[in-house]
Amino acid sequence: MAEIFKHIYPSKYFNDYISRNVRPDGRKFDEHRDVKVNINAITSADASAAVKCGNSTVVCGIKLELAKPKAEEPDTGFLISNVELLPLCSSKFRPGPPSDHAQVINNIVSDIVMNSKCIDLKDLCLVHDKLAWVVYCDLVCLDYDGSIVDACIVAIMTSLKTLLLPSVSFDAETEEVKVDTSARLPLKIHGLPVATSFGIYEHIPRNIVLADPSAYEEEMCGGVGANLIVCWNKGLFCGIQKFGGSNLSTEDEKRTLVLAKEISKLVEGVIETCIKNDKVK
Amino acid sequence: MVPERLQDFKLKPLKCELNFLSKSDGSAILSQGDTVVLASVNGPLDIKTTSQNIEKATLEVLFCSKEGKPSVADRFKENVIRNTCETAILGCLYPRTGITLTIQELENYGGLLTCAVNCACLALINSGVGMRHVVAAVSCAVNEVGDLVLEPTQQEAESARALLYFVFDSRDKNLVTGFTEGTFSEDTYEEALVRCRLASDFVFQFYRDVVKKYSNVI
Repeated sequence: MAEIFKHIYPSKYFNDYISRNVRPDGRKFDEHRDVKVNINAITSADASAAVKCGNSTVVCGIKLELAKPKAEEPDTGFLISNVELLPLCSSKFRPGPPSDHAQVINNIVSDIVMNSKCIDLKDLCLVHDKLAWVVYCDLVCLDYDGSIVDACIVAIMTSLKTLLLPSVSFDAETEEVKVDTSARLPLKIHGLPVATSFGIYEHIPRNIVLADPSAYEEEMCGGVGANLIVCWNKGLFCGIQKFGGSNLSTEDEKRTLVLAKEISKLVEGVIETCIKNDKVK
Repeated sequence: MVPERLQDFKLKPLKCELNFLSKSDGSAILSQGDTVVLASVNGPLDIKTTSQNIEKATLEVLFCSKEGKPSVADRFKENVIRNTCETAILGCLYPRTGITLTIQELENYGGLLTCAVNCACLALINSGVGMRHVVAAVSCAVNEVGDLVLEPTQQEAESARALLYFVFDSRDKNLVTGFTEGTFSEDTYEEALVRCRLASDFVFQFYRDVVKKYSNVI
């Protein structure tokens, strides 16, 4: 009965839950879903991670390539991320070239990684103006159930933290490149940015802030892309983004910033423990 | 924090002309400093059934850069403008229709996106589409010393440690859209938000002046 009601009156169904201070999946307003991380899920990739935030599932694989640095920046390497939202993960997405939404998500993810300065692109350069690493981070969404940016950031950061760069020798005269995959060194990572999404639901007398919204909740809160995304790295913000959706009052905004800090600490803990456990094995 | 007076703020000089285009339902050309943007609104129009929404009007935004080549960055700008304007428009008045908003960049000397959002808002006012509230975009830079600079010039933006963009509504000055570049502390963010919120009054006042100027002509 409840299922039919949900389809006929989607907004009323949701509103009834919110007025009773609970969300349809039984969570409290500020409760986020469990985060599960699995390292080296893809053995053929140089580094990989599979992340589950509730039902949202993202797999990240990193591939390394060597290339010549850009002439205008001869000391920097490349970090290229690509988020794919295939029809597999949700009925919202159609096959074909990347949708606008996928492009926007990709832009947000790569902006957060770049803005947090967790990777110095100069570390990726091997020989001035001759040789640099290209780190391709491919993120594929398997199950789309909201807060996809959070899952993408966890996946990309866990993979980068476990990435080992092979040692490369370069002969300046013959320009011969030798890659030794047996001796690998970890990439330097400064901090660990974590993104936290919030949905803002228009409600009288005041708007309700929902932490880690699911796909259904996102739809009720103004559709895909209307989330407030807060990103912390080492006690500093590296991105606060909100595109339209319901308006946010000053008090609510302060509360979300505090909440985001707490959640990001928890998620950081999950990633660190997971990497530690993997090393013990 | 000591509340600052409005006169303490300096925004770039704003100049605007409404009804710049003869064939569109609403149009505006806006210059903020040396940055110039042209926006045109058409609608509510008939659109193809797949993109129709039974609850509200569908807003389509097209951002044309000076170079003319579409890029991922343009999609991002379109997304920002579309989501921002969607909250401002009373879309439920025009279900199953489309409103198209085309924005053409003419000159870019920094602050392109804030200029584009403000210009889009002026074009929407001019088109007569029902609106919940108007929106004003203000940007702010954090320089190397850690001081805040409102409406940075291109040089200031390039050397800045962080750039913060905010869009406020005219009713309660709530945050509609906000996005940032670079890293910054919580205090900086709060201060920037307060300052930009106060400075948005300038933009709203400018909207009023523009509409007043044109109201006996329209």
